[in-house]
Amino acid sequence: MSLAALLATTEPTNVWQWLNDSSERTVTGDIPTQAWTTLWHSVLAFVIAAAAAIPLAAVLAHFRKAEVLSTWLVNIGRVIPTVTIVAVFVIISLRNGYGFEPWPIVFALVLLALPPLYSNTYTAVRDASPEAVGAARAMGLTELQILRRVELPLATPLILAASRVAITQVVATEALAALFGGTGLGQYITFGIANRDIYEVQAGAVLVAGLAMSVDLVFWFVTRFLVPKPLRPAPANRRPIHRLRPVQPINRNTPSLGGTP
Amino acid sequence: MTARRKATYAVVLVALAAFGIWAANRVSGLSEDTQATNPLFRWEYLFTRERTPGELWGKTRQHLELTVVPVLIGIVLSSLLSALILRFGWLRSVVFTFAGVLYTIPSIALFAVLVTYYSNETAAITALTSYTLLILTRNFVAGIDAVPRAALDAADGLGMSRFQRLRKVEIPLALPVILTGIRIATVTVVGLVGISAVIQLGGLAIYIFDGFNRDYTTLMVLGTVATILLAVVLDIVLRGIEWLATPWARRRVAP
Repeated sequence: MSLAALLATTEPTNVWQWLNDSSERTVTGDIPTQAWTTLWHSVLAFVIAAAAAIPLAAVLAHFRKAEVLSTWLVNIGRVIPTVTIVAVFVIISLRNGYGFEPWPIVFALVLLALPPLYSNTYTAVRDASPEAVGAARAMGLTELQILRRVELPLATPLILAASRVAITQVVATEALAALFGGTGLGQYITFGIANRDIYEVQAGAVLVAGLAMSVDLVFWFVTRFLVPKPLRPAPANRRPIHRLRPVQPINRNTPSLGGTP
Repeated sequence: MTARRKATYAVVLVALAAFGIWAANRVSGLSEDTQATNPLFRWEYLFTRERTPGELWGKTRQHLELTVVPVLIGIVLSSLLSALILRFGWLRSVVFTFAGVLYTIPSIALFAVLVTYYSNETAAITALTSYTLLILTRNFVAGIDAVPRAALDAADGLGMSRFQRLRKVEIPLALPVILTGIRIATVTVVGLVGISAVIQLGGLAIYIFDGFNRDYTTLMVLGTVATILLAVVLDIVLRGIEWLATPWARRRVAP
């Protein structure tokens, strides 16, 4: 059998064959491992960012401090290229001998997730229905009780929407980290481009997009249960007359919740 | 916001930036000798290397082209989509869900998969256009939705046709929101162009990758600063257009 014929029989001829043929993935490792790496990097970064940004933004918004910071953060986050943040962290880590993974990438992802989380939490808590806050204050709740029992619940829909944007963005950027020597699903894309293997590139793209979309979908599903009951969209036939009003992003400067794919 | 407050924030920002540079210098973890040969930024690259200005100009032009073309195509497509949404209400959720799904696809994946079918430029422009759709359509529709009922009634009372009402009342009143959408889309695309470096484009962000691969931080600083400058300049230009196009919005009463 000639070499060309051999190649024709063993080389995959489309992306589905590539995905099914594990011998093609000897360089970059198998799919579940890579997907798991991407996922845990993203989730860890998201959790750190949320733990830092949401409480801070909520407290500052309750006391109406540093109002400009949230718009500034969004604008700064939009202007600084994602590529730079990842590259800078990896370079610093390499020069200090911590290697490519996982800390530089996780820290870069944390930094990327901060602006949308912070500014949307701030807007949401600030714009929580003033009537409800006034009523709570009249009932004698302390400031922190107002924040925890009135403002944060009213702000949940917008905070969760922002979290969804943030975590999708984080997964997308984790894939980008493969350009800077990280592992994860993005490696199939970079290796595929380096080896001029179209099917590997396509498979990588499908996997990355699939992971981002499934995370988005899972978050969308979770959102439906985490939003307090009175704020959920009720079925049309039994819509109550008086309903609590969830906070909508009304600030003209941040209509898209921030975040870049 | 008072001028004093603005000045305070500016000082804080400058101090933070200075601290960042100092910390990066400290943290880069090189001994004194290595610092001397491989510093964070080397001015000679900009001033003594003859090829740099031409190269920088070429990259800037590529970056601009990859920003402006997708935004223009996006404006045309989003206008059509918004018109459809405003005419057929049921399309609203369909279009927004579709644009939302497009926005969820990571850019690196979209570039990579499109480049296996089309040329580099076509792939990059298609991918970047798809990301402008959500921002632009959402702003176009939100702007026209926010036109006060009274203005519409007055227009109807004057006997305007549906198209006249759109052209003379709705679009002018929605212009600030529409232009804000275009500005946000432009700035977002400037950042995203950098990722097209995976398919051998990348505009100014090529410097970042080049500097990373050669452990030459000067190039990374150059690429970053140039990208940020481009985004800021485009932002200022579009803000200027916004200011010129909406003279009635300038005399805003302080809330």
